[in-house]
Amino acid sequence: MIVAFRVGFLILLIGLWQVLSQNVSRNLIPSPLETWAAFRRMLADNSLFEALGESLVVYLSGYSTACIVAIAIGLVMGTIRPVGKTLEVYAFALAATPRVAFIPLIIVFLGLGFEAKVFVVFLGAVMPILVNTYAGVLATDQNLNEMARSLGVSRPRIFASIVLPGAVPFIVVGLRIGATIGLINTVVAELYTAVGGLGGLLARYGNTFRMADYFVIVLSLAAIGVAVTETLRYLELRLNRWRGPN
Amino acid sequence: MNQEASVGRAAPLAAKSEPQVVLDGVGKSFGTAARARTEVLRDMSLEVREGEFVSLLGPSGCGKTTVLRLVDGLLAPDAGRVTVFGGDPTPGPELGFVFQSFRLIPWFTVRGNVEFALAPTGLSRAEKRERAERYIELVGLRRFAEAHPHELSGGMSQRVALARALVTEPRVLLMDEPFASIDAQTRELMQAELMRLWSSSGATVLFVTHSVDEAILLSDRIALMGPRPGRVLENIEVEGLPRPRWSYDVRSRPEFVDLRRRLWERIRQLVLEDPESDFFGRGTSREAQ
Repeated sequence: MIVAFRVGFLILLIGLWQVLSQNVSRNLIPSPLETWAAFRRMLADNSLFEALGESLVVYLSGYSTACIVAIAIGLVMGTIRPVGKTLEVYAFALAATPRVAFIPLIIVFLGLGFEAKVFVVFLGAVMPILVNTYAGVLATDQNLNEMARSLGVSRPRIFASIVLPGAVPFIVVGLRIGATIGLINTVVAELYTAVGGLGGLLARYGNTFRMADYFVIVLSLAAIGVAVTETLRYLELRLNRWRGPN
Repeated sequence: MNQEASVGRAAPLAAKSEPQVVLDGVGKSFGTAARARTEVLRDMSLEVREGEFVSLLGPSGCGKTTVLRLVDGLLAPDAGRVTVFGGDPTPGPELGFVFQSFRLIPWFTVRGNVEFALAPTGLSRAEKRERAERYIELVGLRRFAEAHPHELSGGMSQRVALARALVTEPRVLLMDEPFASIDAQTRELMQAELMRLWSSSGATVLFVTHSVDEAILLSDRIALMGPRPGRVLENIEVEGLPRPRWSYDVRSRPEFVDLRRRLWERIRQLVLEDPESDFFGRGTSREAQ
């Protein structure tokens, strides 16, 4: 039923797109069919896959590094209270700073190549994951904690059985926010450092008014976003299976 | 064994005749800032013998739960001394704890929750499983072994918590108003269930309750506590109610009725005379009229 509604809404959107493309002047908006043709063309000359591959490598390298580093630091900060209390001020400050502000600095240190791009993605994704992981550990159910202590259960065991599973919903939220910001930063990095990947094509087609090609890139980016967040949602569902279907 | 005790063997063997749990002049306060500091217990003394069922009865906020935490070794006293099995208490399999709010791990099954208590024991995987199975069966939840806590009713949840506390076969069972958040009918069944389990395990029980009826029904002895800062005001032996008490209607016995009246009068008096209580002064003014 919901699936039918979703498909219906998609058809509505495409219809709206068609209407807009016919009524906005000077071909600023390509029609769905023109976009489809551009998509076919870009598949045929392989330019889309090349750019997609380049962007995905940057994105996934930066994002996965951010996941590992952020979860590790967040868990340590949450578990060892003095560490957490010392670092949290700085973590929150950094999380609130627009991290694209660091791009000039990153270019100075890492140049315009792959490392710089990966680092921009990393920097965008790392803070929301870290802050959420930290919050998740702090939100540990103290009643369960006391129950486990009263049984004489060891600290590592309490961590594995109570603290970590309790923090999972928070961590997954962080992963989702991080995934979105990481994708944004992938495009930003490709625009500001050596121009390449999907971000590079976006700039090129946008600047030369090849709007159908440009739309293909925008939709590809949206598709990556959907794929990543859906994967994370599936992960979340699996990890929360104990809650039962509701 | 008495002979061994008399020739002066080390405390553990002589412990049979010694009290198993001793609180001696215990004081405990919470809060660090001088102004927010609350004195919960002052000069609290209590002795519980092996195999005895003792209820701590008193108005809310008199530190009953704190006593259990001290006996379990989750807290250390500020003053005085707590002795369990002749030494300092340490949380572990020897001491079972049943909480009012069940405290089941939501992402574990019933079996997982019960087995969790066996983690610190040296039992093998198979032994843990077998033991958990036995206790789940004992509380009548075999069909629910694979269920998660959100699928259970309050009474079932507390039975799981009871199984978890019993599965380590503790020598002392600490129970903190375990039936307070269960509906009245289930509570009565659970009380009978507890008596049955207790009579077969022989464990010492320290049972916190604010229900006079429950205290009389279950206990060998009732330690009546006064309002904060709490301490034991009176030890009342429950006499004339032979066990097993689930085999007859305890509540209709004259002994039960008398004791109930006595306890209620004491508690009413305590609350009415406690300057910290909302009811302060109501008792005395009525008497003056």
